Amino acid sequence: MAEPNLSEQQTSDAPDDSLHDSQPSVAVDPRSKLLHRLAVLSVCLVWPLIWVGGLVTTYDAGMAVPDWPGTYGYNLLLYPISTWLSGPFDLFIEHGHRLLGAVVGLLAIVMVIAAFRREDRRWVIGLTVTILLAVISQGVLGGVRVLLGDRTFAMIHGCFGPVVFSLCCVAAVVTSRSWWDRRHLPSAVPSQKPIGMSLLAFATVPTLLSYTQLVLGAQLRHVQPLTTPGTFTLIVAIHIVTAFGLWLLTPILFLLVRRCGDLTLSRPAGWLIWFVGAQILLGTGTWIVNYGWPGILEFLPFGEGYLVRSKGFIDSIIVTAHVAVGSLILATSVVIGVQVLRQRFLHQRSLAVLV
Amino acid sequence: MRPTFLPSLIVLAALLLCGCDAPVDHYPPNELYSLVVSTREMVSTQVAADDTTAVVEAWFGTPVQPRWPADQMSGSAAKALVRLDNLERAAGRVYADQDDLHFGLYNEHCVTCHGVSGGGNGPASLLQNPYPRDFRAGVFKWKSTARNARPTRDDLIKILQHGAAGSAMPTFRLIPEQDLEALVDYVIFLSVRGQFERELISGAVQELEYDEARPSDGLSLMSIVGGDEESEALSFARETLDRITDGWARADDAVIQVPPETVADAASIQRGREWFHSPKALCSGCHGQDGDHPLALQTNYDDWTTEFTSRIGITPSDREAVRPFRSAGALRPRIIVPRKLSDGVFRGGDDPQTVYRRLVTGIDGTPMPAVNVSDQPSATGLTSDQIWDIVHYVRSLGESE
Repeated sequence: MAEPNLSEQQTSDAPDDSLHDSQPSVAVDPRSKLLHRLAVLSVCLVWPLIWVGGLVTTYDAGMAVPDWPGTYGYNLLLYPISTWLSGPFDLFIEHGHRLLGAVVGLLAIVMVIAAFRREDRRWVIGLTVTILLAVISQGVLGGVRVLLGDRTFAMIHGCFGPVVFSLCCVAAVVTSRSWWDRRHLPSAVPSQKPIGMSLLAFATVPTLLSYTQLVLGAQLRHVQPLTTPGTFTLIVAIHIVTAFGLWLLTPILFLLVRRCGDLTLSRPAGWLIWFVGAQILLGTGTWIVNYGWPGILEFLPFGEGYLVRSKGFIDSIIVTAHVAVGSLILATSVVIGVQVLRQRFLHQRSLAVLV
Repeated sequence: MRPTFLPSLIVLAALLLCGCDAPVDHYPPNELYSLVVSTREMVSTQVAADDTTAVVEAWFGTPVQPRWPADQMSGSAAKALVRLDNLERAAGRVYADQDDLHFGLYNEHCVTCHGVSGGGNGPASLLQNPYPRDFRAGVFKWKSTARNARPTRDDLIKILQHGAAGSAMPTFRLIPEQDLEALVDYVIFLSVRGQFERELISGAVQELEYDEARPSDGLSLMSIVGGDEESEALSFARETLDRITDGWARADDAVIQVPPETVADAASIQRGREWFHSPKALCSGCHGQDGDHPLALQTNYDDWTTEFTSRIGITPSDREAVRPFRSAGALRPRIIVPRKLSDGVFRGGDDPQTVYRRLVTGIDGTPMPAVNVSDQPSATGLTSDQIWDIVHYVRSLGESE
């Protein structure tokens, strides 16, 4: 999301300001509620899609259906539902992942149509088109992974899913009522601190770190057989250190954005602290269910006889939750970054109006 | 640098770091053992190792298309030791068919820890304690057979089904039986292949006159690849393979027979406690009083570690001396600590028969010794009844915990 795009809003926001301030009872809502609802729906569909996709990898079910875009010779949408539901679990989740992906693809198309018909902001229309292209690309990546049987593509597919999810979250945020209703005038609330470049830069760090974590995690999850033990150990070490670094960062970010006095900023920043904390616990759980009780936790009394279970359901859910919460952290970080950018833009515009 | 480029750069850097998913066309050669032989015999093993790799690949195939060299074996039991269709199911890329039949089982379940050639040095191995098993030496800890004997198929199935609590070895209880059978075949295959590779490297130097140069035609391992049926090297390789596979084929004959269990009452447990601390068994010497304070001796390493360290005159804690072996694929030497019995965790199984066998055979590849068994009470040995007493006592330690 580039700042110049946001500045386009200045033209569309201006008439709304006057209406909103002088005649609140007869205000015309310029935003597209339909587009917002579609964007929220996309968020509600893509996150489960990430869960199912994560489960596919956890169960090594990515190659349970050897062809693509069809399923065992059938058109994706015409594969017999009874065979799907009563078939092997691997087939159930892989085909289910594809079906849900197809639904998200259709939704992305509807979002583009709705944006062209109902949305004035060109950059928001561009965003919906980007989402559609991203969803198509993600589907193609998944297909290439199947056709080539290549786990590198599985890893790229896994790393790109959270990007799609983040884009959907941004779409939901920029079409929301709070995005439109927020007006910031420094003279009205003197205790609020303006957002400088340093805070803006600081707010992008969680996005960068959380995406780095996703890539590192994908490296561990899709590890190549000939990766050396030293390389694997190094990735694990970086993954852990970065996780704690990100966690330390989140309360600082929360305190900084809270000074802006805007709940749309401080709320997600507060969530981020909890998300990253939970993610560290899930990461520890993921290691334990995959590789046993780590030596660093030997002091805990119940780890000595821990038995790793291959393909255990609860174990798989823990691993998959680690993947899904990673996406949630990335999306939350992106949303905070976008909100900070918005806040800074509004502040600068307010100053310009005063001058 | 614009922030929008950073994710792409991160992905690119990660790919460069770990590499792409190129199919593993060849089993990695056992460079570690080659270096051990070179250090021990004080001769270059480079040519011997290269020729060995060529022979092993010709006979055993590749990770994509493994081969069971039954045509090179003389024993019928050895020929039937593994099923080729099982090897093909276990090897190669991971996928499943519409009937939920899984392929690439070894890559799906094992390779991350045990490595492509079963060297126990897979990507995740360094972070595990104990390290994953190196199948290539043919040495297995958890089995029912005599010391230095190969495990039976049942032993391997059991460790897959039960896992090893307190380690990274999972239980594969939820995996279909036929998948476990295929995995067992592949583990035996990797072990036979690994043993054959090791013995060919050392045999090439000791028997076939390999040094910095390749020997004459009849002694050259390349004569095997060239199809020379009369070469001395071929006879040596076939004898070696027969000896190795014979050990596996005879595993059932090496199972330790366990006498009927005595009554596990309080008196037996009390007697067991006395034997446990007595000089005849001296269990407490390593496991500590009442099995609660294991002694972590700085000189205790497992056999996989001593092979490239103390057995060839290298101190395991000497990082500089160990460095070349680490570069050749060895994992960092790590002392082996006796089990804290009071935790009640027995990695190889905790049923009375298994614990009895553990006492009379020790644990292969580790400093855990076997007790002396005697038919009659004596000053140095223990009778089977006395061993049962120890079994009852040891098992009671975990129960009291």
